[in-house]
Amino acid sequence: MRGLTAPDTAADATARTGGTYAVILALVPPVWRTLPRTALAVCGGSGLLLAGIPRLQSGPPDPWLCVNLLRGAALMLGVGLAFLLDDPARHTTATVPVRRPLRSALRMALVAPGAALWWTLALLLVPGRARPPAGALTLEAAAIAVTALAVASAAVRFTERTEPGTAVAAGLLVTAMTVPTVLLPERWALLVAVHDPHWAAAHERWAVVLTAAVLLCALCCSEPVRFGRPVRLARR
Amino acid sequence: MSTALETPARTVGQDPEPRRRWAAVAALARFEARELRLQLSFLGIALLYVAWIVWQCTRGTDDYPALQDVDRDTQSVPMLVGLSVMLWVNRAVLRSHRHDTERHFGVLVVEPWRRTVGHALSVVPAALFVAVCVTVQFTWESLKSGAVGHGSPGELAVGPLTVLLFGELGVLLGRLVRSAFAAPVLLVLLLFTQVLGTSASGGGGWTTWLAPVVTETGSRPFPSDLLGRPAAWHALYLLGLALSVAVLAVLAAGGRSRTVQAILAGALALTLVGAVAQSGGTPAATVAARERDSLTPEKVQSCLEHGTSTYCAFPEWRGRTADWAAVVHRVQGLAGGAAGGERLTVRQRIDARGGLTDSPAFDPSAVPGRVTVGTAWGGNRVPEFAVAVASVLVAGNEKAGSAVCDARMVTIMWLALGAESDPMTLFRHVRLDDSVTGSAIVLAPTDPLAMTAEQTRIVRELLKMPRYAVTARVKAHWSQLTSPKTSTARVAELLGVPAGPVATDPDGDSCEG
Repeated sequence: MRGLTAPDTAADATARTGGTYAVILALVPPVWRTLPRTALAVCGGSGLLLAGIPRLQSGPPDPWLCVNLLRGAALMLGVGLAFLLDDPARHTTATVPVRRPLRSALRMALVAPGAALWWTLALLLVPGRARPPAGALTLEAAAIAVTALAVASAAVRFTERTEPGTAVAAGLLVTAMTVPTVLLPERWALLVAVHDPHWAAAHERWAVVLTAAVLLCALCCSEPVRFGRPVRLARR
Repeated sequence: MSTALETPARTVGQDPEPRRRWAAVAALARFEARELRLQLSFLGIALLYVAWIVWQCTRGTDDYPALQDVDRDTQSVPMLVGLSVMLWVNRAVLRSHRHDTERHFGVLVVEPWRRTVGHALSVVPAALFVAVCVTVQFTWESLKSGAVGHGSPGELAVGPLTVLLFGELGVLLGRLVRSAFAAPVLLVLLLFTQVLGTSASGGGGWTTWLAPVVTETGSRPFPSDLLGRPAAWHALYLLGLALSVAVLAVLAAGGRSRTVQAILAGALALTLVGAVAQSGGTPAATVAARERDSLTPEKVQSCLEHGTSTYCAFPEWRGRTADWAAVVHRVQGLAGGAAGGERLTVRQRIDARGGLTDSPAFDPSAVPGRVTVGTAWGGNRVPEFAVAVASVLVAGNEKAGSAVCDARMVTIMWLALGAESDPMTLFRHVRLDDSVTGSAIVLAPTDPLAMTAEQTRIVRELLKMPRYAVTARVKAHWSQLTSPKTSTARVAELLGVPAGPVATDPDGDSCEG
């Protein structure tokens, strides 16, 4: 098993750089087919519904409600992305020459344009008068989305489960329910109102969350190699 | 052989008695409640809830709770428990669909609607758990020696009823939409509109009260007869709503019997009665009482004598006058001249005219010897009150005291803090920017006071010096220290504080603006 994924010789490497694009091109259709389209569509649709609620209300829109609904929409995107790395065939694909980081990156790259478009739409759905600063909210949404991907990668890296999406989504929801409401002290608050004096400081914290999530994502994307592991444990 | 033939003949021939069927429903409810209890996320949130209660009850800043506010503080966190219950009850309802065992259950004598009843009942233990937690939290707070006021059972019932309502919503959602994504969407919606969105709501008329939890928290507690919240009607509304949602779920699962329809009608009627009764806004009598208590508090207050001073408090705060008297005694003990034995009148005030969420500043009183105290106590309120007492002792009345910006500020701050066991911490807290250097605003129950950087330095030095030495000097030079004409440098000299490294700043003695 190790021989298949071990670093190749120099000749192999040069041969492969030329073929990388070809491999990616060849991979695009099957990876596109295996994307969790139902989860993404349902979560995306309901996220847009959340973002569109202020337009359904009569009277002037409430800025606090609008910013929170956008955060809710971003959380729905995160829930959808939690299913992105689900792969019922992961145990059979562990040995293929194309490594997991490339395959995972391809999945994320295929989703990214759609997610960006979706987020723009969600921002535009909020009435202009009550729309929070787009850049800051995009940072929050990116942090939530990458956190979901990072946790999903970690679930793939450290467990044997083929479809950890449900557990990751539940974990994300429970975290969203408890951390910003009860666990975080006031001075580290993440969910602040637009005109709050701590708005800038809160977004520095969001940037920290995003960076940590990107790092975790990068660390966990490799294929778990379990050599030297007792057989008894592996069969469990 | 004969028994094997007999048994089916009996079951087919006559309906098994209804009690046996309901026993199956109860068994299912017990099983599902146990499954819910074993869910890691529910367990985690329940533990977090218990830890939150312990933290709320043990932190030192809240030793003087007002019970009419404590009951409302029990309402918001149970919503999180309710959301997790909703998520897992919904998963439990959809379990047979997810694992494709619906066909197996189809051959059982327990119909789908009875299974839905079982799921709906499985939420009840979680609601009871929250009820116990709420009771413990309230009892714990009410047993504190500084507790005042009265709680309301209607407000206390909101937490458990919210859990019940959210759990039943999970059951209904599972019966209406066979998708695992429906509950998370509803969860996110409720999380961002109800749990996090409540702080900005208020003043929205009758629709505000349709939300499960309406906290309306202000910074100052009101006497409980001024609250004017339809707590009991709101609890009735929530109960009716939870029942209606549960019965609707049973209806959606095919339970169309007359009993179910009658219960649905009853539950909807309860909801409607509650919703209509709670939408009346603040009653006229409460508005009149708020006006009376804000403008003429002496009509309802009773006064007690402690030492030489008089303490007038709203009926629910009578027990707290002893705490105020202790502070006044400490401050007066440091004062010299006639101020040490001056007869003060401490009057509790409240401005309830703007409603619960509004907390306007009090106008300082111009009556000589009168000190204002608010309805909150403990933590920072104690040194703030001490500052008010000291400013009245030095300047004569609150209006003049809040306008002091000359060297008398040093005397005021020394009187307020000098007798405390940890004066530097209190000095930091009573200043608006939590600093002990530079100029700052000093908080008081009425208008704040201002102190310059040089005055701050002198007070800091004084608080570091031995108390008996400073006390003796203050008493000896009392008339000079309370005169507006004495300069800051002179005050420092009188009190034995060495001159600062920098010369006294030019506007150190003058009032800016």
